[in-house]
Amino acid sequence: MSERESPPVGAERSVRVVETRGLTRTYQSGPETIEALVDVDFHVERGEFVAVVGPSGSGKTTFLNLLGLLDRPTAGELYITGEDATALGERERTRARKRFIGFVFQQFYLIPTLTAQENVEVPRLLDRDAETPKRAAALLTQFGMGDRLDHRPDELSGGQKQRVAIARSLINEPRLVLADEPTGNLDRTTSRRILEEFQRICTEGVAVVAVTHDELVEEYVDRTVEIVDGELTA
Amino acid sequence: MNPIYERFPWLLMARRNVSRTPVRSALAALGIVIGVLAIASLGVFGTTLQYSVTQNLGGIGNDVTVSPATDHGVQYLTDRDVREVRRAVSTDVVVPVEQGRGTVTYGRSQTIAPLYGIDRPGGIFTAADGRIPTPLRSGVLVGSSLADRLGVRAGNSITVNGKTYRVKAVLEQQSGISAVNANGGLVVPPAAVGQQGYDQIVVRASSARTANRSAMAIKARLNRRQTRVSVFEFSSITKQISNVFDVVNYFLVGIGSISLVVAGVSILNVMLMSAVERRQEIGVLRAVGYQKRDVLVVMLTEAVLLGVGGGVVGVVFSAAAGLVINQVILGDPTFTFAPTNLGFFAAAFAFAFVTSLLSGLYPAWKAANRDPVEALRS
Repeated sequence: MSERESPPVGAERSVRVVETRGLTRTYQSGPETIEALVDVDFHVERGEFVAVVGPSGSGKTTFLNLLGLLDRPTAGELYITGEDATALGERERTRARKRFIGFVFQQFYLIPTLTAQENVEVPRLLDRDAETPKRAAALLTQFGMGDRLDHRPDELSGGQKQRVAIARSLINEPRLVLADEPTGNLDRTTSRRILEEFQRICTEGVAVVAVTHDELVEEYVDRTVEIVDGELTA
Repeated sequence: MNPIYERFPWLLMARRNVSRTPVRSALAALGIVIGVLAIASLGVFGTTLQYSVTQNLGGIGNDVTVSPATDHGVQYLTDRDVREVRRAVSTDVVVPVEQGRGTVTYGRSQTIAPLYGIDRPGGIFTAADGRIPTPLRSGVLVGSSLADRLGVRAGNSITVNGKTYRVKAVLEQQSGISAVNANGGLVVPPAAVGQQGYDQIVVRASSARTANRSAMAIKARLNRRQTRVSVFEFSSITKQISNVFDVVNYFLVGIGSISLVVAGVSILNVMLMSAVERRQEIGVLRAVGYQKRDVLVVMLTEAVLLGVGGGVVGVVFSAAAGLVINQVILGDPTFTFAPTNLGFFAAAFAFAFVTSLLSGLYPAWKAANRDPVEALRS
């Protein structure tokens, strides 16, 4: 965390996908101030697979929400691909999420009325891009779901749903995929396959940050950081 | 993908969402169907009643009567007045009428009846039995109710004021409002009344508009120097009747509108439930880069789909109801598609659209503005 100078424009490889400096998030609960996250310095390189572990209520999800621009820090700075994203407004953060970040959730959160392929298209659905359906189909095929394009979520197994969710997180060609307990609802064999998929994404240059309780994840990641009581330890 | 969805991608999501809870959506849309049906069919019903009543009045609106201006001391109209009226209106039927009373005897029945001395009654009366001669010289025409009372038919002989006449025709039953109502009386040659001048002149035009023009022309010509005549346009009666029906119609449609507002409340309810149930899903949309506005559009589209779906079905049902109403009351189902009725269909549909849009606004706004972090917390 010592390299604080900004890299030259165009030096894509050396740009950190995401970087935080002194990131702090506190909540006001009546007269009490709850420190969910305190002074976190953190960064992820291109193509890196990082696990964030820690006990329940330690601030992992708060951290993920901040990295994903869903929440705003109380103090500290946040950079996405070298650009300051700390003070972005609501609309800009939404736009930046769309451009740089993919999300994968424990409960998959697929839209039950849409097919697998349409679910993958969802983030780009309003763009009226004729290429989107092809790209969605190609992504699903990559994840071995080529024969399930027209299946509704309730016709898919947990592992299949999570693969649809991962494909959805990649449809916008993000730099960073944030996964909240991605194996939490899956059995061990399926979990391994999902984690292999994440590894494969990383070889394509996408960084993955996974918040997890699952020790299995640690076998697959490049690096594990731990959050305890809102403080990050490498 | 369907080209419509390619063009309006949020429609895909909205349509699928509507079909997610089919019974609930159908019930919400049913409310709109009932509302539209209420507005449109009550509107059509009102129009039909109005049309039916004005039909029964017949061409009464085309009639103008010219009477002596008694307020100004004019007691009767002269031949000169008749000529002036003829000149003023040129194309219309002009029938001067003398009025009196007479004792009418047929067989053993005797009664006192009004007499209308008219030279050419063919212009304003039609015969139910027999033929109306022009001019009326020696015979009489008997009004329908008097003929019923006396049992007179065309061809019989009848005594009026001691003089015997042949009944040339029995007149057709006339409606309650008419320029000269001879139902209970006799139309006789003017000489039989034996009065000085005329009591009124009936002017029958081809339409209410020309009647109005004639009335103006008569007033201008005859009352130029001094007020000699008063002119009454029967179209003023039909106008008043029309106005009453318009009010009744608005009232009926107003009542129908209440049901559409209630339907709006049910859409509001359904959309609120839907927004709560899909909290996390909407959170995901926001996470993957949907702006608040995008979520708002998807949710509003859902509400409007319910409104438009219900509206279309409602209009189809109202058209069916209109066909039945018009078949029963007028015997002419095509009257359903008269311009006024098409207006009611369009208004009911537009009202359904606006109601659903307004009902969707609050739930959509609520869904769009929920913090995605909160929404995604399971």
